[in-house]
Amino acid sequence: MASDDFTSKTVEMIADWHGVAPPNDVALHMVSDLVKIIGQFEALRGSLRFEDEPSTFEAALVQAASIGVRE
Amino acid sequence: MTDLANLSLTEAAAAIRTRKASALEVLEACLVQLDAQEAAINAVIWIDREYAAEAARAADIALARGDGTGPLHGLPLAHKDMYYQAGRLSSCGSTIRQDFRPTYTATVIERLCAAGAYAFAGLNMAEFAQNGTGHNAHYGDCRNPWSLDHITGGSSSGSGAAVAARYTYAALGSDTGGSIRLPAAANGVSGIKPTQTRVSRYGVMPLAFSADNVGPLARTARDCARMLTAIAGHDPRDPTSAAMPVPDYEAGLNGDLRGLRVGVPTNYFTEGCDGPVLLAFSEAVKALQARGAQLVSITVPYMDAIAAYVSVISRAEAGTIHAQWMRERPQDYAAHINSRLFASLAVPATYYLEAQSRRGPILKAFCADMFTLVDVIVSPTIRCCLPTLAATNADSGQTDAVEKAMGISINTRPFNYLGLPTASINCGFDPSGLPIGLQIAGRPFGEAKVLKVADAYQHETDWHTKIPKMAKA
Repeated sequence: MASDDFTSKTVEMIADWHGVAPPNDVALHMVSDLVKIIGQFEALRGSLRFEDEPSTFEAALVQAASIGVRE
Repeated sequence: MTDLANLSLTEAAAAIRTRKASALEVLEACLVQLDAQEAAINAVIWIDREYAAEAARAADIALARGDGTGPLHGLPLAHKDMYYQAGRLSSCGSTIRQDFRPTYTATVIERLCAAGAYAFAGLNMAEFAQNGTGHNAHYGDCRNPWSLDHITGGSSSGSGAAVAARYTYAALGSDTGGSIRLPAAANGVSGIKPTQTRVSRYGVMPLAFSADNVGPLARTARDCARMLTAIAGHDPRDPTSAAMPVPDYEAGLNGDLRGLRVGVPTNYFTEGCDGPVLLAFSEAVKALQARGAQLVSITVPYMDAIAAYVSVISRAEAGTIHAQWMRERPQDYAAHINSRLFASLAVPATYYLEAQSRRGPILKAFCADMFTLVDVIVSPTIRCCLPTLAATNADSGQTDAVEKAMGISINTRPFNYLGLPTASINCGFDPSGLPIGLQIAGRPFGEAKVLKVADAYQHETDWHTKIPKMAKA
């Protein structure tokens, strides 16, 4: 669970950047829950090593379609 | 002849084509089921009976003069109420769009019509397709025909329930985090989320552009194959749709899995599964082996990254799509929707771009690790026995209800990030008599193999033939 400070700062940021106020108390809970995503991203830092590619996901799907195909 | 409403889609098409039944008789059989059960199930948002009768009569007249050659000729279909049809309501399960009547028609609807089918109803769904349980605060929760107190799965709740309850032979759903596979599993029917870009999304309500997919729910894998053959393929009006050729997905359905390698994950997908789900999954794997499949234990890679990234993409894109309505009329959303959309507005662009930029590389690495070892990956579709509507009502204020609701889609979401074709079929029932789903994923554009495995399973077992008691009455 996030600190009250994280929640209030995030609510303020959403108001500043998007002009949207929290619609209800559940929204405050959802904001505090964002720390879980931050935790997930923190845990991934440095764990994935991929070269940046000038590619779209659509192109990657086509490329990957033939991987491992046996005829 | 068996009750017409209990036929599979391909059987009903054959009955009409060979004139063992008229299109009008087929429609009437479906409407009998709908009228008998709808007060309890609540799967329908709107219905156009007059149009349906006209379309059925026209199909019979066309057949009489030798014109009814489409593979879906004369079949009454109903779809999740987010497929635009010019002049018809498309509520998207919302109050905000309760009067929305688009001026154009979705490509997939046009393609189904070109194949001979017609659409006669708009089906209940989660508000703007934004939950995996099927709750809807505006039109009422859709109820599971196997047990009215339990969830139908979402967001294509009405699609799953209507196919199971014999209102229709097939229904389009949409799948951004599991919304075809979850209701397929929960209602004991078959469904397939195609490869990302395989099916046009023109004229389809967006939830998250990067992960939205259009696909069918139906009684059998063969039914899904026929539907998918009709709707797949490039559409100039959806520039993101793939130009890859579309095979006849029914062509390879022969029940024979000899030489096919089935990956059985030892991590992630079975973690924390309920006992009856694990048991049904284990039996399902044995059934595939009995059809000649070679079972291969696999460790599925990148799941931590995929779980983090898929959540960020769908949140940020949904937040973007709904930002203006969130400014102007936030009170018109259910609390579990507007609260989640609100929090989505705080997702940093750098997180979103990290998730997007790694999607292609992770897909290629995943495929290189997995699809050199196996042809498909199987898993339970939902890890738990189906919960009740009350236990997963995220608007109730109970925090564990939110957690339970989110947990429903934990096994389906990864395949949306990866964009892989993934089906769900019924593989048994829990001790309460509620369906359990088997999920089957394949390589990009490998829908034919996914459906082949699903169909072979349905040759080996008869779970897909089970009918809810209330639909039999």
